[in-house]
Amino acid sequence: MSAVDLADVGGQVAITGIGESEHTGISNRTTRQIAAEAVERAIADAGLRPEDIDGIMYHPMGGDQFDEHAFHAHFGTTHDMWVSRDGGGMRWAATAPHEAALAIGAGRAHHVLNSFAVAWATQRSDMVGGPGQAHADNLVKQNLEIPAGYFPQPVYAATMARRHMIEHGTTTDDLAAVALTMRAHANATPGAVMHARPLTLDDHRTSPLIADPLRRYDCCLISDGGGAYVVSALGAARQLSRPLVTVAGVGLARAPEGSFLALRDDITTTEVADAARVAFAMAGIGPQDLDVLTVYDPFTIITLMVLEDLGVCPRGGAGALARAGELRAPGGRWPTNPHGGLHSHAYVLGIAHVVELVRQLRGQAANQVPRAGVGVYAASTGAEAGVLVLRGGPGA
Amino acid sequence: MRDDFPLPDRTWPLTAGFWDAAADRQLAIPRCAGCGRWVWYPRAACPGCGGRAMPWTAMGGTGRLHSWTTVHHCFLPAFDGLLPYSVGLVTLDEDPAVRVVTRLLGDPGQLRADLAMVVEFRPLEFTGVQGTVLAPWFRPA
Repeated sequence: MSAVDLADVGGQVAITGIGESEHTGISNRTTRQIAAEAVERAIADAGLRPEDIDGIMYHPMGGDQFDEHAFHAHFGTTHDMWVSRDGGGMRWAATAPHEAALAIGAGRAHHVLNSFAVAWATQRSDMVGGPGQAHADNLVKQNLEIPAGYFPQPVYAATMARRHMIEHGTTTDDLAAVALTMRAHANATPGAVMHARPLTLDDHRTSPLIADPLRRYDCCLISDGGGAYVVSALGAARQLSRPLVTVAGVGLARAPEGSFLALRDDITTTEVADAARVAFAMAGIGPQDLDVLTVYDPFTIITLMVLEDLGVCPRGGAGALARAGELRAPGGRWPTNPHGGLHSHAYVLGIAHVVELVRQLRGQAANQVPRAGVGVYAASTGAEAGVLVLRGGPGA
Repeated sequence: MRDDFPLPDRTWPLTAGFWDAAADRQLAIPRCAGCGRWVWYPRAACPGCGGRAMPWTAMGGTGRLHSWTTVHHCFLPAFDGLLPYSVGLVTLDEDPAVRVVTRLLGDPGQLRADLAMVVEFRPLEFTGVQGTVLAPWFRPA
């Protein structure tokens, strides 16, 4: 087991505000400018004022996220804030509510803001391998992997896809079905980067090979954008105007081998499997209880692997679900990334996945899943995985 | 970033032994002097017994292909002259837990799951990068 032991915070806090920036290609904006837009919208959505936010979470990555200094500079405030650098996107978008709940429970904060933004479309040409920069900076990879050409993430995912095909019979048409589902969701989502760009099976099959078997349309976008949410105590959340969405369960797992795939015994699974066990136990649910799902989806194969890790089907079964339309929102049994995900909505590393999940559980999403009561966000970033279970509707 | 990136840094202590062995046309993996375990990737202490003596030990240079990809997109300017190239994971015959990342030589159309592979040493060169290093890559046996 790679799962981290987490204190049970199920039902203690709620997500009371959500916001997103505009999602664009090259915006020539800074990360903080983008984040500020999302943060303003999240605070307003909660019906709060900036001075009500007394806790702030962000990720230290890049050193340019929306930290407490950026917050005060932007809003002209000076109040004390509880600060955590264990926030942001990726798996932290799933686990930040856990740390926020502990801080709120200990009386250190009442309303905790978590935000994340990237300006990687703008900054891409200055990065080593674009979003691969973090891997390029790793000395072991520099000396044992990159000389062979094993870099960056699309190359890792291609070897995962190949092995998944060998062991579990997944096909390129399974991958295409994921891509087309994500694009159809984005086409019906105002604000999605690919809102106006349909994708056909033929488009997918004829798109350039990136690292075979992965083609261009198996890979996510690179875009500028950000998102934010506010976590509040349950009592305070009941006083606010938005439909209640509570944090039911959180799970975290760490791979002992870190992000080195060569050391991973089984490269067709992720740490989501372990993180989900913790989150589901905390929430008192099983995979059969999930009404709507958001999955961190840098590549089509990862979406399939994470769905299998969540237990919605046996290993090797997710491709057939995708081809049968079961990932569609609404209409499928396992509606996944109703906003279009990293693939077609925006490359904001998971923060918009949580925003979308809250929207679904409030009943206010573009591709609304009817009567969605239990939702999950699951994110594997290779070395770590986070799983967040939220409840909305009468069960919240 | 180093001027000679993505060539390996032969002075970096943790992996210098790998490239020193390759220069002598050997594929080498650290082996714990205390318990005999192969320790991959290299690390400061043996995860089995905690021993700190793990001399680089020559391997037979044969293994099985675990997974692979042929890369068509240019992710680094230095890769430009290589495209398309194949890269993958090879499990060494001495211990299936030891899997190396390696360039794959020969016709990518021949690559199959669990195919028998053998090491071959080739000079490593990158577009726009000065210098070369002998590298232990694999081809179908």
